[in-house]
Amino acid sequence: MIIPILKRITWALLLLAVQVLILNHVHPWGYGAPLLCTLVVITLPMGTSRSAALLWGFCIGLIADIFAGTAGISSAALTFTALVQPPILAFMAPRDSDEELHPSFSTMGRWNYFQFLAVLLLLHHIVYFALEGFSYFHFTDIVVSMLVSYISSLMLIVLVEHVRNPQK
Amino acid sequence: MHDFIERITAYIHWALFLLLEVFSGLLLFKYNNYQGSIWFTQANTIAAYVHEWEAKALAYLRMPAENAELVQRNVLLQHETDSLRNLLAEALKDSSVTEKKQAEVLRDMKLIPAHIVDNSVRNRDNLLVINAGSNAGVEPEMGVVSGTGVVGIVSAVTPHYSLVISILNSHSSISCRLRRTDYFGYLKWKGGNTLRAYMEDVPRHAQIKVGDIVETSGFSNVFPAGIFLGKVAKIKNSSDGLAYELEILLGTDMSNLRHVNVISNQNKEELDSLRLR
Repeated sequence: MIIPILKRITWALLLLAVQVLILNHVHPWGYGAPLLCTLVVITLPMGTSRSAALLWGFCIGLIADIFAGTAGISSAALTFTALVQPPILAFMAPRDSDEELHPSFSTMGRWNYFQFLAVLLLLHHIVYFALEGFSYFHFTDIVVSMLVSYISSLMLIVLVEHVRNPQK
Repeated sequence: MHDFIERITAYIHWALFLLLEVFSGLLLFKYNNYQGSIWFTQANTIAAYVHEWEAKALAYLRMPAENAELVQRNVLLQHETDSLRNLLAEALKDSSVTEKKQAEVLRDMKLIPAHIVDNSVRNRDNLLVINAGSNAGVEPEMGVVSGTGVVGIVSAVTPHYSLVISILNSHSSISCRLRRTDYFGYLKWKGGNTLRAYMEDVPRHAQIKVGDIVETSGFSNVFPAGIFLGKVAKIKNSSDGLAYELEILLGTDMSNLRHVNVISNQNKEELDSLRLR
């Protein structure tokens, strides 16, 4: 019980460190940075209690916010992502899958998992940039920022997932 | 009864979701008024410590290039001191006048040097964290400048760090004037390009040329008068058509700043109390 949680906390801290120390300084063509932390919420196993998922999302978001100076934005967006992750996972997981399925390329199949990542990341980015752009002056800037960040996050996360869980 | 409890617990995550979102929303709005709690900003001690460590590591990586530059600079300066020493020897006969003048300008001002620990330029409301806090004498509402011009205004302080509202912040509004003609207005940033800001409320009869220098007016007593802000790049009409809106090319590139100075005006309280009367 306690070992998987400790593992997950280590994993979350590692991703947060990469996000804060490296990715927050990377702005492809001056637009939004990739949001890697989302991966912790995306890979929550099937059967995680919904309240626990929400708390994971909120805490990781809050830490990311404090270090990036975006108070409230990441925490709100990640809490939302944690709310929609279980139903989307249940919908997209293979029929015959394990009850405690850990979403990854090897457990869900390459194409299936990629779709799962793409959908959840898109929802997360829409909420994140909608909040960031509250009363923003340049609507097109926000949309371009969102798309650039979305594509770079997706590529990065697919890469990380391939390294973490190589396909047989 | 059992059934009822089961039904409630099945929906408890919706309540939790609402609670967490409301809390995030509070942070978002409170923070946007930027007088909010220091704990949820980069200026809280742990975050600032991590960022300071990061800034130091980055500075270390840049050391070889900086060293080479310093050596060059040293040689240059040695030459310069040499020639200046000669000049000084000649001028010493009558130096009391300049010394007095300089002391007069600097008497009320104290400069507190600081490093930037954390800096953002891509948000709508950008903030910086510097490694000088109340222990070094920094207080909220003090001005922050770099060698190339105005950087921002201190918003909150902890013992070792301060949170600075950058000029690249939608809440920032700095009283400024045109150096040549003395017309004044307010400098505002509207997002997007980090080198472009706008000077608003410039009267229509003012004579303006592209390339005119914009500097602080000294009205706000946050900044002394005459600190460089930027140059006029374009002259446009304001949205209501009653005044000019000048596009300003800022002198300070906020994205590569390292060293800044906080201006401590020791007469500020006296000036403020005078205004209240």
